[in-house]
Amino acid sequence: MAGDRAASRAEIIWNLLASRVASRGAPASVADVCAVCVETLGMSGAAVTASGKSGPGHVMCVTDEVSEQIEELQLTFGEGPRVDASADGGPVLVPDLGAGDVAARWPAFGPAARLAGAAAVFALPLQIGAISVGVLGLYRRQPGPLSADQLGDALVFADTATVLMLDREDQAARDRGGGTGPGGGTGPGGQPWQLALRRAEIDQATGMLTEQLGVGIEEAFVRLRAYAYAQDRRLADVARDVVARTLRMEPDPNPRRDGVA
Amino acid sequence: MDIDLLPETFVELADTLVAGFDIIEFLHVLTDRSVELLGASAAGLLLADPRGEMRVVAASSEQARLVELFQVQNDEGPCLDCFRSGLPVTSADLSAASGRWPHFAAAAGRAGFAAVQALPMRLRDETIGALNLFRDVPGPFDRADIRIGQALADVATIGLLNERSLRRSETLNEQLQSALNSRVIIEQAKGKLAERLGLDVDDAFNVLRGCARSRNRGLSELARAFIDGSEELPDLKPGKTPPAPQRGRPPGPPR
Repeated sequence: MAGDRAASRAEIIWNLLASRVASRGAPASVADVCAVCVETLGMSGAAVTASGKSGPGHVMCVTDEVSEQIEELQLTFGEGPRVDASADGGPVLVPDLGAGDVAARWPAFGPAARLAGAAAVFALPLQIGAISVGVLGLYRRQPGPLSADQLGDALVFADTATVLMLDREDQAARDRGGGTGPGGGTGPGGQPWQLALRRAEIDQATGMLTEQLGVGIEEAFVRLRAYAYAQDRRLADVARDVVARTLRMEPDPNPRRDGVA
Repeated sequence: MDIDLLPETFVELADTLVAGFDIIEFLHVLTDRSVELLGASAAGLLLADPRGEMRVVAASSEQARLVELFQVQNDEGPCLDCFRSGLPVTSADLSAASGRWPHFAAAAGRAGFAAVQALPMRLRDETIGALNLFRDVPGPFDRADIRIGQALADVATIGLLNERSLRRSETLNEQLQSALNSRVIIEQAKGKLAERLGLDVDDAFNVLRGCARSRNRGLSELARAFIDGSEELPDLKPGKTPPAPQRGRPPGPPR
């Protein structure tokens, strides 16, 4: 069953992350996502970069030296899978850096990345619709594609990293939520990380909150999640109330970074 | 079937491939035309997310969208069977299909649908989604209509792969994810617009779609610009909304 398979795959990943986080006793971070992702998908390394709208990717974490080099090369040359994933809003999957079309696509990055030790690179944007916070970059020393299951897992890792990046960016909203955020593992309603299933209502409610709160789309999503945590309700249920207009949110009396859009 | 509409539809879909292409608008046009061409009451289109869940990306009506969503949430129905087998699935009388799809048959009946035809969206050996046709009266779908429907589903599959090579499965997955994310962008924009204009989200979608057409802009592109504030929609004041373009043609040079 597709739905069951999806739920269990995501749950397995969340459980792996939760146990790693619990053993260390610190809140979950994108570094945890990278480490578990490398292990689960048999990658050689991973990196998360933040995408500032005004500037190139700021490296948040890398698992190894080659990953760091791959990110640096892209900063230097202004080309590569992370750059394309960021610009196109979709994953960039390159199973063989030695393939002929790579040289045409990235004449500088392609050979340099191979020299650094990468044979396959995969870049997954950290995004939820118009929300875009960075890119998860993976590489392998051996060429070869991601299987369908591996791609599914990689997307779940990217979703998780997206939420962690948003939480990190908005510690204040997390505090307003009154909880520890997704770092605590399983959220209210048995929905780990509050991202169990994609629902159109969640996206619609996020859009509505940009107007109600006078904030950007990232902040609106963080506020929606924070409210769900504070009320100990499922994100999808809160979103449904917002769309049905039985729940309205008031602007923050002390607006922080986004201000009024 | 409106025989004049058929060549027009293929030209229209080909047009969409060239100027201001937007995959979600393209798939909506496809579901709309499926209804007009194939004697269907409604149509919906599901795509497979590699995360494991099917996603409703286009529907000709809110009822069709809800019935499609019902299939996904209950993990049961002709569209899912069609996707999993890669083969067409049909039921000429849903009132007799409660053994096959107990939950779906009931939900479809409540929505007023009496017959269903699901057609696979396939690229060689890979099935990426399914097109569902619904009718409000029982009876088999016309065989010629089914063949045209399959041709439309094939065009939709190719549309997903536009501008790039069909050779690599990486490209298909890349494009599929972009399309699914575009759907999310549009949902977010629907919410923002609905709140601003005091509309419900489905009406907001029609307004957004009308705006994209009248400005000759890609639907997802305009949705993104509206969300991040780089483009306002100044012609959108309450009570002054442009007409919904349900049956309109996208602007383009006269033919």
